[in-house]
Amino acid sequence: MATAFTPYSYIQCPCSDITPTDRRSGGSPTTPEPDDDDRAFDPRAPRSSFSLYPLEYLMYCEDCHQIRCPRCVAEEIVTYYCPNCLFECPVCVGPLAVTSVETKPDPNLLAAPDNSAAPLAGPYALTCSYCLWTSTEVGIQFDKPNGIHAQLAKLRNGGTTRLTAKERKERRKDPSYKAQPPPPDSQDLDHEAQFANLKAFYQGQLADPNTADAGLALLGDLGFSSPTSLSRIMSIYTGGSLLHDKKAKTRLGAMREALDPDEGLLVASLDESAAISKLRSEGLDGTASTAQLVGQPPNMVEPPLHGNERFLDTLRPVPHLLRTKRSKRCPVCRHIISKPESKVQTTRFRIRLVAGSYIPSISIRQLALSSGTGSGTSASGPAVPGAPLEPLKPAHFLLTFKNPIFETIKVTLGAPATTPGRFASRVTVLCPEFEVDANTDVWDEALKNNAERDRELRRRRGESVSANSGGISSANQLEVGKIWERGRNWVSIVVEVVPASLALAPGNPPLREDEDVLEIPMFVRVEWEAEMAGDEVGAAPSRSNSEAREKRELAYWCVLGVGRIRQR
Amino acid sequence: MSSKRHSILPSASQSGPKPPVHLSSSLTIADSAVLTGTHQITVHGESVIHPRARLDSHAGRVTIGRRCVVHERATIGSSSSGLASARSSAVLSSARSSMASPGVLSPTAAVAGSGGEAASQSTTAQAVTLGDYVTVEVGAVIEAGGTVVGDGTVVGVGARVGAGAVLGKRDLRHENHCTLTPQSAVPPGDVVPDFTVVYANGMRRTDRRGMVELKNKGLARQIEVLRRLIPSNPAKFA
Amino acid sequence: MSSRRAPRGEYIETDTGNKVARKATLVGTQHIMLGGKTVIQPDAMIRGDLVRTIHPSSQSGGNAAPQNNTAISIGRYCFLSRNCCLRPPGRFYKGAFTYMPLRMGDHVFVGPGAVVQAASVGSHVHIGAGCVIGEFAIIKDYVRILDGTVVPPNMVIPSFSIVAGQPARVIGEVPEGGHEAFELRDLYKTVGNNPQPAPH
Repeated sequence: MATAFTPYSYIQCPCSDITPTDRRSGGSPTTPEPDDDDRAFDPRAPRSSFSLYPLEYLMYCEDCHQIRCPRCVAEEIVTYYCPNCLFECPVCVGPLAVTSVETKPDPNLLAAPDNSAAPLAGPYALTCSYCLWTSTEVGIQFDKPNGIHAQLAKLRNGGTTRLTAKERKERRKDPSYKAQPPPPDSQDLDHEAQFANLKAFYQGQLADPNTADAGLALLGDLGFSSPTSLSRIMSIYTGGSLLHDKKAKTRLGAMREALDPDEGLLVASLDESAAISKLRSEGLDGTASTAQLVGQPPNMVEPPLHGNERFLDTLRPVPHLLRTKRSKRCPVCRHIISKPESKVQTTRFRIRLVAGSYIPSISIRQLALSSGTGSGTSASGPAVPGAPLEPLKPAHFLLTFKNPIFETIKVTLGAPATTPGRFASRVTVLCPEFEVDANTDVWDEALKNNAERDRELRRRRGESVSANSGGISSANQLEVGKIWERGRNWVSIVVEVVPASLALAPGNPPLREDEDVLEIPMFVRVEWEAEMAGDEVGAAPSRSNSEAREKRELAYWCVLGVGRIRQR
Repeated sequence: MSSKRHSILPSASQSGPKPPVHLSSSLTIADSAVLTGTHQITVHGESVIHPRARLDSHAGRVTIGRRCVVHERATIGSSSSGLASARSSAVLSSARSSMASPGVLSPTAAVAGSGGEAASQSTTAQAVTLGDYVTVEVGAVIEAGGTVVGDGTVVGVGARVGAGAVLGKRDLRHENHCTLTPQSAVPPGDVVPDFTVVYANGMRRTDRRGMVELKNKGLARQIEVLRRLIPSNPAKFA
Repeated sequence: MSSRRAPRGEYIETDTGNKVARKATLVGTQHIMLGGKTVIQPDAMIRGDLVRTIHPSSQSGGNAAPQNNTAISIGRYCFLSRNCCLRPPGRFYKGAFTYMPLRMGDHVFVGPGAVVQAASVGSHVHIGAGCVIGEFAIIKDYVRILDGTVVPPNMVIPSFSIVAGQPARVIGEVPEGGHEAFELRDLYKTVGNNPQPAPH
């Protein structure tokens, strides 16, 4: 555990909490459910990992007044774009660049000092600038330095030409080709070619009414292997346009299957002796890793392999994936909560309702106290950040709540007395209720003169929420119900934790990954008054006199990861 | 072009003794390069030493071949601490014993052969030798200890060559051309075959580009430009 | 880059608000452009001397204006941490070798020990500690490069990418709420000859 721990705060998106909807929709539950308020959120529950997000990842719907997370928003693609031209290296994912292949050095040219005036003379290859892989390693060279994609589509590894779909179609129509005997094996078929051939074959079968095969007439009534069943299956996957083809129902005759490579027949190659002998000669270094094979574009693999590719020389350059710009909608009210400008070059957003501008941020810092026993002690400076927490020794953490909205907010915190899980650490929020002043314009603050600010600061310190104004205490006293520190739009409070001991009774399963992290579940309730928005229709129709101000509240669970507990 | 006036160059830590040097007259060495140590430092013709590059001969002699480029903050011949050197020499000796196979020279013999003159055993055993056309990029470290970096090798940004490591076959000293990608490392005493590319946290493959001539010519042209850009004063180090 | 207000102090603070550490190494300062309010920490190194030696003079008819021969231009509110190194990328242009300028936008954080040889770095970019940005890489706006990443030469990193690894690959997207974290105005205030404490 040498690595320093960085405290974090994650917020639970309400979309993962399905209990309220259950209660609302269902009639009367037969068994009395435990009261929802009593049930503390368990950050270690398996479902929790899918609902907790850092504040930056959360959005906020202004119409529903609710937090929205990347999992519950509906995304729509605004635009696609190519982030980078050309290809990625199939070996290391670095970018490939077009370079000229070195031709045999000419001694005459070498003597001349400026012979490299034309260094970009063909042939060309794609070369990785990182791992120095080059397409010549798989036998691919290009005649021209441009139009690489088109050139690559016509080239097999090893340099043999490959027919494009269009050429294949034309070849099929060509009577001179038809006259030729079919190729002896199916080496010619790659994924694209096989699919095209199969498609052409079955379309031909569908169109031809005289395909009834006498040998399978008995099965004909079942619709097995017939155009009907084909169109039925196709309709399942293509959306049912073929389903209402009345004519098809009358044709019950069975179709024959593809018989040769031209019709899309591919005989599985079970003879692996070539691969074995190659492995013997090239060794493990000649084989491709799983990651490299997974990264390969599926429609560009070498013909005889079909998922059996194993060697580096079967790899092909990987085209860069396109990127998208996406807008996001609220899943409930369908309002757009994020919309980037569609132009690729710009990074601006038309709409960007991020949670960070609606709900307070929580930052965590450990406090080192001169004597670590309870209240009334003063701070002696920050603790070593990220150091492990001593079991059973009280530690204090400063939580700073920063208010992003232009209204004063009232924050109420609730945390279970002990953390859930196998190791129950004790948690005490010393000041569970406080107000955070409104966010102001930076300019207002700057223009305020210093004296006024000082006076205000003093006033703020005096008026802590629980208001024990009797004891005139200096700032930064560890006292129950008192704010630690207060600023323009932020408040710091102290949480005391007594970390549990991680000692395991014999027979218990060992510590799971990150089980030593002390995570505090905390319920945050934020209340504020906002001006009624005029256009809100269904927000609060029952409320009377909502002319001027409207009470708002937002409540959510969050999880504070404060540190790792030292292990014995 | 007096770049001294146009630079903020706080005094470098030119600590330690001034080493005996043998610098080619066609060398380009920046004023703020650091040469330190007690053993001989030799740099051959048309090589370029960038500002703040560090050649350290405390452990043993440092030899740099022709047309090498040593970038800023690169360290050649870093003397490891006592513990580290003990460890590396142990590795070195184990590497030596493992190399006792027929047909392979032992590192000591090879370095002594390339070094030319007779030197004490410790000098040669802790030496660093760079072949020709070697590029050592920003912040790379080549540890001392019988380390050999073969011809045409590129040691990438922040890469580390351990003590006694040998990049490229030493007996065929004109086509080694290993490449260490940035932040990669060759462990002490390791022997790396010719045209090896060390990449992605220690993966290795073979460079099959066959671009030796083009690469060397490119480096020569880069050196031409650098000779114009970097004011050189070899006399300062003599 | 001229006026020295404070006679002593760790930093030289210029009229435009740049804070350049006295212990930073700037070679060829006449070819380095600072946009203002940029911090250069001690032991950072900038190679302004590696200027472009070949100019596309063919279009501008012979003698193109050589006065604007900036090797490295840095925008506003950039932060160059200790031991980092900025260096123009070099390549072959019409058969000859030349260095090309390195351009950097605003609010670019370069972490400790990072080496940047990119062609361009956009605005609001975070380059982590110990990263190596290869020659002629193009980094667009709002990009976060995690510590120890090696960005290969010529790589183009699109906006809002989070990249990591050796070699670098895109491992995630910067969320909508993460844009403000790239702001370096507050960080600028925390260094200099009279630094202010970081705000909450």
